[in-house]
Amino acid sequence: MSTNRVEVVERNLDEYLQSAAAPARSLAPSEPLRPGGGLTARKAVEVFEDQVLSRALDVAARELKREGEGFYTISSAGHEQNAVLGAQLRTTDPCFLHYRSGAFMAARMRQLDGASPLFDTLLSFCASSDDPVSRGRHKVWGSREAWVPPQTSTIASHVPKAVGTAFSLSRAAKLGIDTGLPDDAISVATFGDASVNHATALAGINSARYAWRRMNPTPVLFVCEDNQRGISVETPRRWIRDFFSRLEHLRYFEATGDVDSVWDTVSLAIQTCRTTRQPTFLRLRCHRLWGHAGSDVESAYMSQEEIEAVEARDPLLANARRLVETGAASPAALRAIVQSTRERVRAAAQEAKSRPKLVSVEEIVEPLAPEDESAWRAAATAAIDPAQRKQVFGDRSPERAKAPTRRTLGARINDALHDEMIRRPNTIAFGEDVGRKGGVYGVTQNLQVHFGRSRCFDTLLDETTILGVAQGAALVGLLPIPEVPYLAYLHNAIDQIRGEACSLRYFSAGQYENPMVVRIAGLAYQKGFGGHFHNDNSVGALREIPGLAIACPSNGADAVRMLRGSLAMAAESGRVVAFLEPIALYHERDLYEAGDGLWLTDYPVPDGAADSALLPGEVHVEHPDASDVLIVSYANGYRLSLRAARALEAKGVRARVLDIRWLNPLPMDAILEHAEACGSVLVADECRATAAGVADSIVSGLVERGFRGRMATARSADVYIPLGGAANIVLLSEEDIARAAEELVR
Amino acid sequence: MSSAVVLCPGRGSYTEKSLRSLDPDHDLVRAAERRRADFGLEPLLALDQAERFEPARHLRPAHVSPLIFVKAMIDGTAAAQRHELVAVGGNSLGWYIALALAGVVSFEDGFRIVQRMALLQEEFSEGGQIIYPVTDDDWRPSAEREAAVEDVLASSDGEALDSIDLGGYRVLAGTPKGVSHLLKMLPQVRVGSITYPIRLAQHGPYHTRFAEPTAAAARAEFATLELHAPHTTLIDGRGRRHSPWSVDLDELRDYTFGAQVTTPYDFTASVRVALREFAPEHIVLPGPGNTLGGIVGQVMCADGWRGVRTKDDFLALQKASDPPFVVSMGMGA
Repeated sequence: MSTNRVEVVERNLDEYLQSAAAPARSLAPSEPLRPGGGLTARKAVEVFEDQVLSRALDVAARELKREGEGFYTISSAGHEQNAVLGAQLRTTDPCFLHYRSGAFMAARMRQLDGASPLFDTLLSFCASSDDPVSRGRHKVWGSREAWVPPQTSTIASHVPKAVGTAFSLSRAAKLGIDTGLPDDAISVATFGDASVNHATALAGINSARYAWRRMNPTPVLFVCEDNQRGISVETPRRWIRDFFSRLEHLRYFEATGDVDSVWDTVSLAIQTCRTTRQPTFLRLRCHRLWGHAGSDVESAYMSQEEIEAVEARDPLLANARRLVETGAASPAALRAIVQSTRERVRAAAQEAKSRPKLVSVEEIVEPLAPEDESAWRAAATAAIDPAQRKQVFGDRSPERAKAPTRRTLGARINDALHDEMIRRPNTIAFGEDVGRKGGVYGVTQNLQVHFGRSRCFDTLLDETTILGVAQGAALVGLLPIPEVPYLAYLHNAIDQIRGEACSLRYFSAGQYENPMVVRIAGLAYQKGFGGHFHNDNSVGALREIPGLAIACPSNGADAVRMLRGSLAMAAESGRVVAFLEPIALYHERDLYEAGDGLWLTDYPVPDGAADSALLPGEVHVEHPDASDVLIVSYANGYRLSLRAARALEAKGVRARVLDIRWLNPLPMDAILEHAEACGSVLVADECRATAAGVADSIVSGLVERGFRGRMATARSADVYIPLGGAANIVLLSEEDIARAAEELVR
Repeated sequence: MSSAVVLCPGRGSYTEKSLRSLDPDHDLVRAAERRRADFGLEPLLALDQAERFEPARHLRPAHVSPLIFVKAMIDGTAAAQRHELVAVGGNSLGWYIALALAGVVSFEDGFRIVQRMALLQEEFSEGGQIIYPVTDDDWRPSAEREAAVEDVLASSDGEALDSIDLGGYRVLAGTPKGVSHLLKMLPQVRVGSITYPIRLAQHGPYHTRFAEPTAAAARAEFATLELHAPHTTLIDGRGRRHSPWSVDLDELRDYTFGAQVTTPYDFTASVRVALREFAPEHIVLPGPGNTLGGIVGQVMCADGWRGVRTKDDFLALQKASDPPFVVSMGMGA
């Protein structure tokens, strides 16, 4: 058996075109391939051109790899029938494409003036910084002009944001936000028959059905490109049909057979989705040629007969036959298309190889998480129109509420959310229990009353969906504030932040962004209630995400100012910010003694004052004159540190206490400054000992910056948090902090 | 045979140096003269073989356009014998030449289109075009000059508009009031020995909505014009490709006598698509003149094609091979 299946498949097509007889009757360009069909002879040839281009590019990808010049060989070979979708969808239908979309993109880009899909694709194979999509960061299908936000798509994790986009189209319109898209735009996600089994994909499809069931227009077209295999594993026969054709609230279509039949089915599916605004599932029959990627040897898991059977179903070969047999094109014309396309690709590949690559860390990092402190500060501290505030708050503005004016963290976040929704008409707040109930802890109370159900709403109980809606909403111009009810709930959905939301600017070289502030209730200290799932303290899962900023306020006034800073970062620079709220402090009133009310705060009025907002790097220091030891902490740990400082003072140790406020980026300049002033540093980290919190980074950061004083850390035990009083045994305590500080200065 | 994309010249290409560039015995010249006679206009050879160049006479649209058409067709046909043409395009008037060169229209019909469009332009002659550089002497983009153009267009009350994206230049067009505004408001800049903005002699406000009357008349006139699939792919003034196998002739007609006339012509996009999608061994520029040579170089520079990032890179590339990458058939003529 020939090991070079590329040559075999190419030869099959060439031999057919050499030997095929010219059609008895030629169709006129405007004649359909079959009576009543929608695909004309001319259009069919155009589609064939795009399919041949895609195939030639896949061949080039392998040649480039052999030469050490190309770095991506997962091909579109066998999936070229997706050009039919590319030709019929509009460039104003947002598309989230999986990696076998070469022909789809060739056909889609044809709709745009001045497009160069051939060379663009070669540049991406070569990881050149001239690649117009990712600028050399990844081989992704994308285009700003053609509304294709890029992603790696490997595990169908782009499905939830495609649903979020569909869901948000009408919502944005209702709120008067200009999406730049027509009213009947639809959102499209493509994926394979293997990747659709991922929980994320199923969650996305489920949430689309749910949204539609709740009478929300959700025009999303799911396209399963069914090649009946995931790498080496065969998909059971009729698996896709058996599952998805029987689901309520999901229209189902199958596009199989000749290209003209596929054309008509695709057309019907698109029209159904467009006109009814309901989720639609299209199974597009495809075949996978040449293995999963260049490195995958199919013969290891497929017999020669099986491989040849797939090759015999090559869509290019099938389409060539159909075009010739119907008289849509002559074999000579198709030969000329194939030959000229191969030559064009070969010639352009020589140029693509020579194009520049990314060469420095700075260049590579540049689009990930832009910083613009002056713009952020201006936006965060801008005064909010008093008349608009009056409309919402009436005589009960947060700063003038009836006694006591000092309120809790939870109440202050609620106040700040009100003000930000006044300030920014494109903000929406949503999540489980966020709307009518006003949040599990009442943090979103009355938002729905004041701003309506379009801007504050409940979602189904699925964090993947919540974050998918956030991404889609952000893509069409809304500024989402999704809520994840507990930090532990985030973990099943965290790839939506890590793999998708935070990577979008990076993979699109800053051409697309999905600004958002994700509110997450988290951390422990709930007096033994809730156990692990409601006391999760694994902030390391967030801290390791490239480009994610993390705010973690310890008190109400800080929370207000940090929320303003966070939203400004999102709005001005497209940043994704996690706003981690310590649940145990939501309703805390006191610091030292019951009834002292020292954890209540006044409201920082949004009157334009420079200190009415906080940005990363800005810390709070309590007892600034003390210098025996610096205690660095945040959230619950900060409050405990203040209590420990009082206990230490009784023993003659005067501790300066620093609230870092931001868990990413860490305010190392401020920490170093105060560390130098005090000479010794204790990091009081309520998170787990092994790298879950910030302690390791702060200590190593100080060492790297030349701090030579004494250092110690006090942290929670390295274990899941148990229920009841046992929780207090494993969590960092006031006594732990005092003891460690004392040892440090002894 | 080496592969080549042929890009046909626009209106500014026939100059004093172009005199006597037509071979009186060439079949295409004879054929052109026969069609010229149909219009009752002065023979082209009388113009081309004149003792001296008279701008008012030679640059009259009805004279200069067919002169360029014939010379470019002669050169383009010769190029097709020397190279494998993988695509054909052109700038503005060059689009009609490209249609004829690619066989979409016959030589005679191509001539008729060019002659009629020139006469229509004379008929609807209100307004004009100016040209202004948006790169510096070394072909580096000048944000300042781009901004100046945008500002002046914005302050023109809609009387001046974009007309052609021409590599390192922008061609702007307007009503008489718009042209005055452009000439008055655009800061004077020198590139080499030339001071800009320059008003293009006897050019109408082509590629803008001000040319709608011309387009409407042309649509009526050429409604039944016979079009054929091109022999080779055409690249239009939007940077769109029309292949021999999938061309939509109705769309091509609509474009040629519609958007092509009334919306900006993006020659930069045509060149960019020619390079990126066809990667030819040569770009061939038929004569007369060599107005597009530098412009192709500027587009290559902006794209980094063949490592060209500066004007000097381009000149070095041109010297590095014989024939050079950009073959200018009308060099010196």
